[in-house]
Amino acid sequence: MQFRFEKRAEPSRTMLYVTPVAAVLLTMVLGAIIFTIIGYDGIGAVREIFFTPLTNSLKWQDLAVKAAPPLIIGGGLSIGYRANVWNIGAEGQYIVGGLAATGVALLTQDMSGWWILPLMGIAGIAGGMAYVAVPAFLRVRLKVNEILTTLMLTYVAVNILNYLVFGPWKSPTSFGQPQTVAFNDSQSLPYIIEGTIVQAGAPIAIIVALVAWFVMSRTMFGFQVTTVGAAPKAAAYAGFSANKTILAVLFISGGLAGLAGMLEAAGPFGRMVPQFPSNYGFTAIIVAFLGRLHPIGVLFAGVVLAITFVGGEVAQTTIALPNPAVGIFQAMMLFLLLAGDVLVRYRIVRAGATGGREAI
Amino acid sequence: MSATLLIAMLITMIGASTPILLAALGELVVEKSGVLNLGIEGMMLTGAVVGFAVTYTTGNPWLGITIAALAGAAVSMIFAFLTLSLSANQVATGLALTIFGTGFSALFGSEYTGKPLELFKSIFPASLAEDPYLRLIFGHSPLVYFSFFMVFAVWWFLSRTRAGLILRAVGENDVSAHSIGYSVIGIRYGAVAFGGAMAGVGGACFPLLLTPQWVEGLTAGRGWIALALVVFAAWRPLRLLAGAYLFGLIATMELYTQAAGGVFRIIAPEMWASLPYLATIGVLVIISLGRSANANAPACLGKPFEAGH
Repeated sequence: MQFRFEKRAEPSRTMLYVTPVAAVLLTMVLGAIIFTIIGYDGIGAVREIFFTPLTNSLKWQDLAVKAAPPLIIGGGLSIGYRANVWNIGAEGQYIVGGLAATGVALLTQDMSGWWILPLMGIAGIAGGMAYVAVPAFLRVRLKVNEILTTLMLTYVAVNILNYLVFGPWKSPTSFGQPQTVAFNDSQSLPYIIEGTIVQAGAPIAIIVALVAWFVMSRTMFGFQVTTVGAAPKAAAYAGFSANKTILAVLFISGGLAGLAGMLEAAGPFGRMVPQFPSNYGFTAIIVAFLGRLHPIGVLFAGVVLAITFVGGEVAQTTIALPNPAVGIFQAMMLFLLLAGDVLVRYRIVRAGATGGREAI
Repeated sequence: MSATLLIAMLITMIGASTPILLAALGELVVEKSGVLNLGIEGMMLTGAVVGFAVTYTTGNPWLGITIAALAGAAVSMIFAFLTLSLSANQVATGLALTIFGTGFSALFGSEYTGKPLELFKSIFPASLAEDPYLRLIFGHSPLVYFSFFMVFAVWWFLSRTRAGLILRAVGENDVSAHSIGYSVIGIRYGAVAFGGAMAGVGGACFPLLLTPQWVEGLTAGRGWIALALVVFAAWRPLRLLAGAYLFGLIATMELYTQAAGGVFRIIAPEMWASLPYLATIGVLVIISLGRSANANAPACLGKPFEAGH
């Protein structure tokens, strides 16, 4: 039997929501097969990566910790991607946000007070925004492709980080270790649940998602972003400035990446170290797409990605699966999601059949 | 500065440029056919790990490079299938390919950490390369000569052959090319496979030509720089050669400034290491200042083609 694609008059909303779930499920099936073929315990890998973090209640707090940064960054990126603005250097803005917060921490080393953390937060956001300002300006003024500029600056950010922690910011008491002094109590995020490792990052991530949802679906700005991305000409007719929208979405995504950097620095890390870049900025790209660029979808996608992160660590210890395997699972999810996109725009019909009668 | 040192610098620079040049040549052909593949970095990493593994296991770098090319082409087919057959978003799919290649190379590369590899050295007799000037001609790895050859081959293919003309037609006006009977999708598949193979060889250059050991993420963004180079070269192979060497020069500057010391020490090594990336941005800015920045870009670049519309 032959099949062919037939374009839908309207993109299918059902498929829009079904395909991400299908992509995750299919990743498990294909992943189990592929990893078995290449000589690992494929079924064990899928079990440990996708299910153990959910069934083992000891791992739930890890999930909350790991989900926060990609959620916050992914929320910002999804707004930008809606406007067809491709900031893929969130990793760099995350690093610079962390560095800016660390800068404040080092200046307030001998001080204490409730105001220090908010100040670090503002510094983180400002750092991320400042770091995206160059690509934003170049894109708007000179039409320089933001994909390349934001990504190039990520490599530069890693160098800035190394310069600081190996050089001027190195703690005098670290016995030669490249790291800053540890943050004091006023510079560290509080634990929101007594006796766990869950800090303020997780609730902030949820707040960001809710605010993003409100802005994107209930305000004129959200409408403007969507229109500029989907129908630039219509947007121009409506009087929406494409350049202002591009600037706004880049600053939002950069600021949120910077905030995530501050939350990681003042949270799980507690000081600045060379290991600070955690690939959250790149994971957030998958989160944004898997969440269908919808703030609430991003919330779910962020949790799914956090599950694979935590599960990857589990699989490393229980079945000796090397950690990069997680990256392959994450890439497979994105591949399958993109493949599934065809079902949103097309229906599959039996060759020879006309109209939608025998359509699946 | 002595001539010997200058020649040694030139040879290092040419070596450092070669992976970028090869990958960029591949992408140039891909983009000429109207497709934007952002997965170069992923394909290079795939080629790097496969090239390392095969060369390490068999001791035969020729075989290593051949398999690296095939591996690069193979992973590029994931991209081709998604974007060409299923009309998936090219930007997102290219990114996914890079994420995939990063994971793939890290997974299979880890077991080669700390294992030594022999560099793929010149095939000419060593006596020919003793004289510093003759070394400039005979002292390179076969990969370097291959990159020279490919610059010429791609130029010749695109501007002097009928097949090249058809490929360009597909990139400039896919609807017209389709209506006079050319298979737009088929030609683009071919271009993407070529781009993948070239990125695979470019990736294999890292362990075989530059540092004979396995380092995770060893391409360090060179795939993205290759992408920028294609824009810089205005989609012309000969300008690509000049651009790649300019970047090779900047990338090797870090080595020489460290050795030279003195004034250069004022600037931190991390700053020198950042230079290729900053220079890439600088170059993009300079081209965009030009009157017709993207005038040479293939008209259908990045746009999906759907037959029957």
